[in-house]
Amino acid sequence: MTLKATARRNAIHAMLFYSGGCNGCDIEAVNALLSPRYDVEQYKVLWTWNPREADVLVVSGIIAWQMLEPLKKFYAIIPEPKAVVAIGSCPINGNVYKNMVGDIGVNEEIFAPLESIIPVDVKVPGCPPRPEDIIAGVVKALPKILEAP
Amino acid sequence: MGVLSFLAGIIASSVVASIIAVLYSLVLPGIERKVQARVQQRIGPPILTPGWWAVLKFRYKAKTEPIAQMPGFYKSIVYLGLGVVILLFLFSTPYWWAVLGWGSILGLAGLLKLEEVLYVLMGSQSQSILSTSMPVPDLAKGAKGEGIRREFVEQHSAERALKMMAIGSIPLYLALIVPFAAAKSGLLSSVVALQNPAYSAASWFSLPLPSSPILFTVPGLLAAVVYFVGYVMLLNEKPFSILKAKIDVIEGGVLEYAADLRAVYYIMRNLLLFTLSSIFVTLFLGIPFDPFMPLLFILNMLLSLIMPVALAIFVAFSPIFTFRQIYPATIGLSALGVLAMILAASI
Amino acid sequence: MSDQPKPANAENVVVEKELSFGPVHPALIEPYRIRLFVNDEIVEDCEINMNMVYRGVEKLLEGLPVERALLITEKVCGICSNVHAWNSVRVIEEGLKIDVPERANYIRTLTHEVQRITSHLIFFGHAFEVVGHETFAMRSFLLRETFMDILAYVGGNRVMPSVPIIGGIRPRADLTEGLKRAILERVDEFEKKYTEYVNRIVADPLVMSRLTGVGLLSKADAIKYHATGPTGRASGWDFDLRRDMKEYKSFDYNIIVLQDCDNKARVVQRALEIVESLKIIRQAVKNLPEGPVVNRSWIAGRMDFYTALLESYRGELMHSYALDGQGMIRSYKIRTPTPANLAAMEKACVGDHVTDAILTIASCDPCLACCTRAEVVESGRGRVMSDTEIIRKYGWRR
Repeated sequence: MTLKATARRNAIHAMLFYSGGCNGCDIEAVNALLSPRYDVEQYKVLWTWNPREADVLVVSGIIAWQMLEPLKKFYAIIPEPKAVVAIGSCPINGNVYKNMVGDIGVNEEIFAPLESIIPVDVKVPGCPPRPEDIIAGVVKALPKILEAP
Repeated sequence: MGVLSFLAGIIASSVVASIIAVLYSLVLPGIERKVQARVQQRIGPPILTPGWWAVLKFRYKAKTEPIAQMPGFYKSIVYLGLGVVILLFLFSTPYWWAVLGWGSILGLAGLLKLEEVLYVLMGSQSQSILSTSMPVPDLAKGAKGEGIRREFVEQHSAERALKMMAIGSIPLYLALIVPFAAAKSGLLSSVVALQNPAYSAASWFSLPLPSSPILFTVPGLLAAVVYFVGYVMLLNEKPFSILKAKIDVIEGGVLEYAADLRAVYYIMRNLLLFTLSSIFVTLFLGIPFDPFMPLLFILNMLLSLIMPVALAIFVAFSPIFTFRQIYPATIGLSALGVLAMILAASI
Repeated sequence: MSDQPKPANAENVVVEKELSFGPVHPALIEPYRIRLFVNDEIVEDCEINMNMVYRGVEKLLEGLPVERALLITEKVCGICSNVHAWNSVRVIEEGLKIDVPERANYIRTLTHEVQRITSHLIFFGHAFEVVGHETFAMRSFLLRETFMDILAYVGGNRVMPSVPIIGGIRPRADLTEGLKRAILERVDEFEKKYTEYVNRIVADPLVMSRLTGVGLLSKADAIKYHATGPTGRASGWDFDLRRDMKEYKSFDYNIIVLQDCDNKARVVQRALEIVESLKIIRQAVKNLPEGPVVNRSWIAGRMDFYTALLESYRGELMHSYALDGQGMIRSYKIRTPTPANLAAMEKACVGDHVTDAILTIASCDPCLACCTRAEVVESGRGRVMSDTEIIRKYGWRR
């Protein structure tokens, strides 16, 4: 194990990007951060709000129209190596907002799935996923970061 | 003997002292986070994670250009800051005491002020995406505030840094004066000699303990309290973290430092944390960080833990103050500091 | 009009600059944008832009069978999922006169109050995070886990318990004897810890100095801007829809009204409401009537517009729709409390420091996921357009 990989494995900065969903995944992700019961920091994951500091971008929610540009921009300014974790059903397949439509047929307001916008490394399904799953998802994104040059 | 050996000594002591200090100071944020986490009833990160591994990791990230008005200048500020903090630390080590009177209250106070100015420069340069330049359609038709200057949050942080420079650092300086007033001299060597007369004649492996530390006198105790709060103010930690309050200006001027620049910033911030604690131990207990006296500098490093641990507990129990609370708090502390200064004449 | 809010560049108001926060920001978490017009450190005017999460829920619901609508209405909001599910069910139950068994009503009320507590504790977490006191925020999230567990036991999911269905509740959400005992035990345990927690907050001089006297929203302003729920009640406006709801007739509880009008009042208001919710939970478990939990004998048919109002955790919530001959939904309308509360907060934060203004905005417990779907603007042809459509069509100034 090289020093580079050890350093990367021991300090993971994750950032939450809430691209417009129902708050459920969002609160659970904040729960993973703030609740002493889950305490994401003990797994060496440090939460940050600054894209310049982040390694892992945690995206929740369907991608609403107004959040599309910020999402692309945020992804662009995170320094390499970086990984993207999609939490919840919304960024994975659009959840009910894309798949259960009435008369309008196609919902043009949302841009899910996330894969069509930026590359996704880990998908954490669930509506919403439990905080344990979110932590596991962030940690699952590690191999990509470790192997990067 | 003479000039050459003195120069050799100063270079050797500087190199040894800086390396030890940087390596040790990167353990402190981990200890701070751990103490804070235990107060908050959680396990918290491993001790090396927030300092050591984070810095190494940022070092290994791809270099990125910050979004700033003058990127080259913005990048240089953080190196300048690191230089200032290293010099500040070195001025408190014994070999530098003899150089042109730098090892005195003037050297310390001047460099501390310079360190504060850097936050103003950083804030006025950085232009993070997180505020005004976020690509959202907020200037739609009918929106308020047409034609008003739009400012980045970092620039607002720079204005706050200016205010904190003006008022926030006064308590620390008042507290710094107390040991010097007690020694009736401006030099660090006389402050240490007053408290620890055995130090100047001690051999390299011995451990000269102070006979009459200023900390255990009434003015010393008052000054220590003021020093501690001034220390919190200078480090911009809660409750005096208004210039990098997470809830409005996020991190202030350091927002745009990425990759290796952020690693340098982390080193600078943690070294300042250690330096101020080490200066406290030197001034109030008379135990200097002498790089050629292993027992003495280890004792200094151990006692330097008191301040960060107290800081962590203090931070865990306090909200962010706005200027409504900062002004009265500073005025009260300054009054306390002046009282300590007056009493210090009695030592 | 003299009582119109002054524009930012009116003569007697000096505005030095504009600061904008969001939509990705640690204090907001949810996507919305705050634009503060400040003079040095003092806020002179404020604009909150809250249309970042437009998903078109009302349009999606158009033409869906009424039974399936529940799947979407519950996902309108992840904090108050039960409220939206319950209220969308109440519309058809009251419109088509479907009988609901008494036991089902009790369990619905129980879920409602349990989720009210989790929602208020999120508010504490968020408010203290904004105040900067991480320890209190974390303690609040720790306390909240008790009720997240209860929701998971009752409904099967921590966030989306899906308890109500048309005609009653899902049979899997029926309370067993063991569950009733567990809820009572946990509520007792929670109340002890919670009392300590609140006493500790109220005794903390540093936190109280941040909260007291900041963000004043007078009773007249609260009524004028239609601030509802705890936000309005903390300003002395005695208005609670639970008084009119038939589900709450059999419970004994108090409606808290405070007169202080500031951020402290809005925090204390919610702290006291949790105590009242605990009372209701205890009564619901102890007096739970026997009987069936769901009434399956109904047929969705033609229904005229019907509007159901419910006291949600943030204020008055309206769901309204009609059904056509096949039982398909027509013209779904949702009105949530947050837009009104945020408008009141735009007023309340004027005159405070920037840091306090954001606390004031957070103190109305904004829930943006709920409120960004009723953006209705009439164009010249009488057509109803969404905000996103408007921006797409007309663009925005840059």
